[in-house]
Amino acid sequence: MLVIDNLKVRVGGKEVLKGLNLTVNAGEVHAIMGPNGSGKSTLAQVLAGRDGYEVTGGSVTYQSRDLLPLAPEERAREGVFLAFQYPVEIPGVNNVYLLKAGLNAIRKHRGEPEVDAFEFLALVRDKMKLMQMDESFLNRAVNEGFSGGEKKRNEILQMAILEPKLALLDETDSGLDIDALRIVSNGVNSLRRADRAIVLVTHYQRLLDYIEPDHVHVLSGGRILKSGDKSLALELEKRGYDWVKEDPAAA
Amino acid sequence: MSSVSPFNQPPALDHYRTLFAERTTNVDAVGADALTALREASLDRFFASGFPTQRDEAWKYTSLRRLETRRFTLADAPPVATEDVRWIPDCGYRIVLVNGRMLPTLSTPAPQPPGLTILSLAQWMQHSPGEVAEFLSQSAFAAPGPFENLNGAFSDDGIVIDIADGTTLDRPLYIVHHWRASKPSVSQMAHPRIIVRAGRQSQCSIVTHYTGDDAAESLTNAWVSFDLAAGAHVEHLRLQEEGSRTFHIYSSQVRLARDARFTSHDFALGASLGRSSTLVQLAESGASVNLSGLFAPTATQHLDTHIRIDHAAAHTQSQQDYRGIAAGRGRGVFNGKVIVQPHAQKIDAKQSNRNLLLSATAEIDSRPELEIYADDVKCSHGATTGQLDPVSLFYLRSRGLGEEQARALLIRAFAHSMLSTVKVGPVRTWLEERVQRRFDLSASGIS
Repeated sequence: MLVIDNLKVRVGGKEVLKGLNLTVNAGEVHAIMGPNGSGKSTLAQVLAGRDGYEVTGGSVTYQSRDLLPLAPEERAREGVFLAFQYPVEIPGVNNVYLLKAGLNAIRKHRGEPEVDAFEFLALVRDKMKLMQMDESFLNRAVNEGFSGGEKKRNEILQMAILEPKLALLDETDSGLDIDALRIVSNGVNSLRRADRAIVLVTHYQRLLDYIEPDHVHVLSGGRILKSGDKSLALELEKRGYDWVKEDPAAA
Repeated sequence: MSSVSPFNQPPALDHYRTLFAERTTNVDAVGADALTALREASLDRFFASGFPTQRDEAWKYTSLRRLETRRFTLADAPPVATEDVRWIPDCGYRIVLVNGRMLPTLSTPAPQPPGLTILSLAQWMQHSPGEVAEFLSQSAFAAPGPFENLNGAFSDDGIVIDIADGTTLDRPLYIVHHWRASKPSVSQMAHPRIIVRAGRQSQCSIVTHYTGDDAAESLTNAWVSFDLAAGAHVEHLRLQEEGSRTFHIYSSQVRLARDARFTSHDFALGASLGRSSTLVQLAESGASVNLSGLFAPTATQHLDTHIRIDHAAAHTQSQQDYRGIAAGRGRGVFNGKVIVQPHAQKIDAKQSNRNLLLSATAEIDSRPELEIYADDVKCSHGATTGQLDPVSLFYLRSRGLGEEQARALLIRAFAHSMLSTVKVGPVRTWLEERVQRRFDLSASGIS
């Protein structure tokens, strides 16, 4: 589904990703872990198409297509979804309006008719229940005045409704208390499917107690230094990141 | 103030002198001399100042050069049918003016509710010019500026609205001013005068709607006064959507007595050059004023909002909350000034102006001013001017929304907070639709 080959990215004149390789297949959950400043968020932003990230080398192939020339909205319509580390507050734009506009943009791209108003509301209510969100969310402005946990839940709600093929979760666990973490993880787990890939970007192993990854990668200094299964995350939790950098076996 | 300058303005002023001399008045009526004298005095003051120039602080960012070169004639009264005039339906008691003249045939025919008196200035002038002269000379409480003087010299119609003590109007008063050109080649001007007197403890909502088309060039030079007696509450909604060939000059004066409250929402969308000037005098303690508005110049429009709030008494409050959105080569100006007089303690004054620039060629000049001569006051002001937030834009696009759709959504969201406080339902709906249409165009780069 996603093949990243020797990706090099500069941000503000500084090289942040220095030849990153990663392959993600449909149905898999990957966790990308690493110390602060290793390039985790840069990777997520570049995949979603944010401005200001200069790709200086390598390639990203998504569903056998070159992803990099696509505008952010084209990526979204093709099934790429980024759950933001810092979801943006947008006063004056209604939460449900955004959900509906996003869903309809994706449906239109697929040649499907606009969603029926009743069906849509039923769908939103159903997913809100999953995310344990209050009815009042329906009429609030996007993320405006939301607590940290509410914002993250809202991101997963959007994901549940837009049903992406490739979901990138950027530090979704940061700032969550244990209850919110459980709700968010439940939401993500309910979205695991054979035709969907999920990439979790996280600093801590904690999230992986709830969302069990198939593959764990250590990103440091702009490269994936080590890959393994979920036991790697536990080892990182125990030993920190430094040993990976010093491990001669790391490639 | 600019002084008389015979070298840069004489042709323009001569034109107005000629027009004034050619005008015929009903000289037979009792007191006609007094009205004529009042008009002559206005004209003299206008000649003494001339049109304001950019050397005048209050006009620093707005040039009147184009306006000065026009030879406006006094508007005629072409026949008007109902379908010629656009208005917002179900807005309340409707009063229609066309080319500055009140047209009872298009206005709400229903009898006026108790406590409300609406007078046509033209009719009153016809019958008792002496009374009108006396009334008008007492109705201005601040020194009139050049355009108010021009209005005073040429105004021959308008509306006097009187709300009796203790009256609460059940529906808004909806005043529509419309332009109708008889010949496209003739530039016309109108000087409607509106005087609102709200009695003690009275409450009312007034909508003034300036509209027109692009058939001919015109100058609307409106002068509006609000006089609020003790405890009166007046809400004013102003909709300026003149045609693209219209110069729109709106001068208003608001005076508030003890515990009176004035709320206004000003929407400047139309005209080639638009100026909205509001002078507020918080004359007695407990008076409060809450002004808000949106100005949205696009194409080559120039829209200027000028406010001056005079805290003349202790325990008075003022609030200003304005937003500007400039697209194309549009230019917006916000100049809000708060003056706190030496004896006026315990004052609360807030001022906010937030602006959005949608193109590299758009411009907004924001100038908040505070002049405080008392020490026990709470004053705050803030002004920001920026572009659409790129992170918000990216967020919306990452959810599948196209760039234009995302831009339109953010622009409308920015305008929305100004619309959401409008309580008159049909006006709010009308504004939402208008603003949406305008900014969908701006966002796609058409305007």
